[in-house]
Amino acid sequence: MRKKSSFAVKLGYVGTNVTVLLFTLSALFPIVWMLYTSLKTNKEFNLNTMSLPSSPTLDNYSNAFNIGNIGSAIFSSLLNTVIAVPLIIVFSFVIGYFFSRIEFKGKKIMMLLFLAGMMIPIHALLVPLFVQFKWMGMLDSRFTLILPYIAFHLPVAIFLFDSFIKGISKEIEEAAYMDGSSFDYTMFRVILPICMPIMSTVAILSTLGTWNEFSFALVLNKSSELFTLPIWLTFFSGQYTTDYTGKIAGLVMTSLPIIVLYLFFSNKIMTGMTAGAVKG
Amino acid sequence: MRSSRLFKLQAGPAFRYLVPIFIIYAFTVLLPLLISMYYSVHSEGNAKFVGLQNYVALVKDNDFWFSLKNNIIIAVICVAGQVGIAFLIASFFMTKLLKLEGLHRIAIFLPVVLAPIVTGYLWSLIYNYRMGVLNWVLKLFNMDPVLWLDNPSYVLYSVSVPLVWQYIGLYFIIFLAGMQNISKEVLEASEIDGATWYRKTVYVILPLLKNVMSVALILCITGTLKVFDHIYVMTGGGPGRSSMVMAQYAYNNAFTMSRLSYGSTISIGMLILCAIILLVMSRWIGGGEEK
Repeated sequence: MRKKSSFAVKLGYVGTNVTVLLFTLSALFPIVWMLYTSLKTNKEFNLNTMSLPSSPTLDNYSNAFNIGNIGSAIFSSLLNTVIAVPLIIVFSFVIGYFFSRIEFKGKKIMMLLFLAGMMIPIHALLVPLFVQFKWMGMLDSRFTLILPYIAFHLPVAIFLFDSFIKGISKEIEEAAYMDGSSFDYTMFRVILPICMPIMSTVAILSTLGTWNEFSFALVLNKSSELFTLPIWLTFFSGQYTTDYTGKIAGLVMTSLPIIVLYLFFSNKIMTGMTAGAVKG
Repeated sequence: MRSSRLFKLQAGPAFRYLVPIFIIYAFTVLLPLLISMYYSVHSEGNAKFVGLQNYVALVKDNDFWFSLKNNIIIAVICVAGQVGIAFLIASFFMTKLLKLEGLHRIAIFLPVVLAPIVTGYLWSLIYNYRMGVLNWVLKLFNMDPVLWLDNPSYVLYSVSVPLVWQYIGLYFIIFLAGMQNISKEVLEASEIDGATWYRKTVYVILPLLKNVMSVALILCITGTLKVFDHIYVMTGGGPGRSSMVMAQYAYNNAFTMSRLSYGSTISIGMLILCAIILLVMSRWIGGGEEK
């Protein structure tokens, strides 16, 4: 009897570990394949899809810079992220602070409108936003994408700040006001520093979102010098259809910053992305 | 009492910040909806007011309903694939038999952070007829290569697999967090009573995860209804219209065929449909909870 149960435990142990390991490998394999294939030449890739690079080369990367002009796409992506993310943080902090602390007329409606922003399937705004920007002559400029990137990330960020600030004791602010601190000073110098943990979550999530965004960048900007990395990829693979390893190098360059960020902040990213779901 | 008065007094300076930020948000998210409503009741080229003519055309548009049907099929596959598999993996994590839990967690979530467009391209390479990984595997078994993305009869399944692959991790972490919220005593009690993994998962964990499960289902379904990037990259809705989805259809009309009025109409139709589905689902889930 005892023997049998220990056998069953062993079976369960092996079965569990093998099953989960298979899922882990299937999650990792395409990414690992992408990484090492980017070091192969097209000739070698044509000969064997799966083999490791026999003599790893960075040619695909230098070609992406020299022939494909990926440098300008990296610059565009970086610029969008560097401008949009700090603004998302400040804006969502301020609104989140008001929502959690201050009663004012129209607060309910405003919260509802921001909540709607989370519910709207974002691609339903693709055509409408294009139409509006065309109308107002806002298409195809260096800063065209900043506004949508801020607005789309606000709702989630606001609710992250809102629920975090609700957990901060009001006595801190009262003490600050007693000491003669102004409204602005209390908000930015007293409360904001306490929000550091959730601030970094918002920063990372909106960086991911801005860096990875594709459809609006596709529609709102047409000039090649404004291409972000995802748009550069479609353009490159349209032009150099047979340059598979070149395209894979482009994929790696688009993903590598994200993967590195993820390896450093995986817990923050996981809790940030699933916060709403688990609480609800 | 005193503190609430204190905060009321501060509402004045608050508006200094609130109004400009809200204007930015309204300008980019709310105003476009109004403008596209305007477009949707005008003829192409914004020539004249045509009332609901575009909407009538949309209701009669076979292609639009076909893309909705595709969206729904993809949603069903993703519910089974993403939510189902994620729940299974998460329940394995509750057995305490697993080694290297931290590594598994990080690896399984990794695809979630990739750009959808990267996933799309990566998988179109994996699906590649001549050099793709999948046909390479088939060749090992002496099987004929398959046109994964060019055969209308299974292209819809082919485009769903990358979606499942990318987002399993998201639901996995959601379930894992939910399961870790379940009190230890309940789980231990069921173990002492001799519940097997299967019984513990189905009769103890699943009922306690009802709320998390319904949120995951809503996330998954609304997520797949708006799928665009992956499809755009892998098939563009093709071959023919066989993998067409609503967002791609709106894009094609507005940008490839330059029919902005009709593209706006599709977008609004999409919004209405998503709202209805969301409403029905939350009703259905809410009703289920009362039982």
